[in-house]
Amino acid sequence: MTDFLAIVAVGIGTYLSRGIFILALANKKIPDPVLVSLQFVAPAVLGALIVALLIDSGGNVAIGIPEVSAFLVGGAVAYRTRSHIFTLIAGMGVFWLVRALM
Amino acid sequence: MSLDRSIVRQGIVDALPLFVPAVPFAFVIGLVIVESGISPFVGWSSSWIIFGGAAQLTLISLLGSGAAVAAAITAGLVVNARHLMYSAALAPVFQQQPHWMRWFGPYLLIDQQFALSMLRADDDPKTFRTYYLSSGLLFWALWLITSALGLVVGPVVPEAWNLEFAVSILFLGLIVLGIDRYPKLIAALVGAGVTYLTAGLPNRAGLLVGAFVGILAGTIAERLRE
Repeated sequence: MTDFLAIVAVGIGTYLSRGIFILALANKKIPDPVLVSLQFVAPAVLGALIVALLIDSGGNVAIGIPEVSAFLVGGAVAYRTRSHIFTLIAGMGVFWLVRALM
Repeated sequence: MSLDRSIVRQGIVDALPLFVPAVPFAFVIGLVIVESGISPFVGWSSSWIIFGGAAQLTLISLLGSGAAVAAAITAGLVVNARHLMYSAALAPVFQQQPHWMRWFGPYLLIDQQFALSMLRADDDPKTFRTYYLSSGLLFWALWLITSALGLVVGPVVPEAWNLEFAVSILFLGLIVLGIDRYPKLIAALVGAGVTYLTAGLPNRAGLLVGAFVGILAGTIAERLRE
């Protein structure tokens, strides 16, 4: 039940972020400083999330050689191919390979 | 009211190639739902309640990993804050649309939909509406189907594969593909670094600290660049 309510909460928030200017504030503009900061929301949050998802129950970041290798190769493949599918295949492939070798 | 089939076809033809990069996200959402222990139907309902890949992955991964519910919700909302920019940019176009469209349209406003519809901003209102609904509803249907497929495959995948790590790889790809100038790289690195340093905070609250400091760092870097 908690999970469902959490989904609904994010759903409502997402709808509002997509709709607020279209529905209510059509004549308002986002102030320039806010607009500048909004561009950095995605990279900052995603960077933070990558680390947060690796935190174990003891509060330590469980990052080892397999993860670091996967990030380096995945990042390079993303940069070169601009493809999420290739990035996923390369990143997970390296992750499994290095883990198997260790 | 007649429907202009050529516009519908155009919307579908334009939307299909843009859905391809979203396939791994939808699929991994299905897999992560299975691993998170959230009831499959509840998890899958995020596909039509939220309809936004990054926020869904964020929320479900964090709920599944034992983060505080409030922190998971906040993180999901912050990830989706970029939609405010889309809403503001499309608001003038939507002023010429009927009431129902102004209420329904934002529901479909995902990244790809924004990119497509901005190119049609000068169309007459009816053509814009037909195009917007054609591409948007196609994205929506494909999203629900693909994330359900991940849900079906999920239980077959051995736990030893650590598929939840795929979320981190997908997020890395989103960062790399989104970087068009160095302040965004700084925002990502600072966000990750501060989260690392604050990893010991309870309920993964370090995530929000890291995100906030990252946004700040990117903004400052942008100021210095100008």
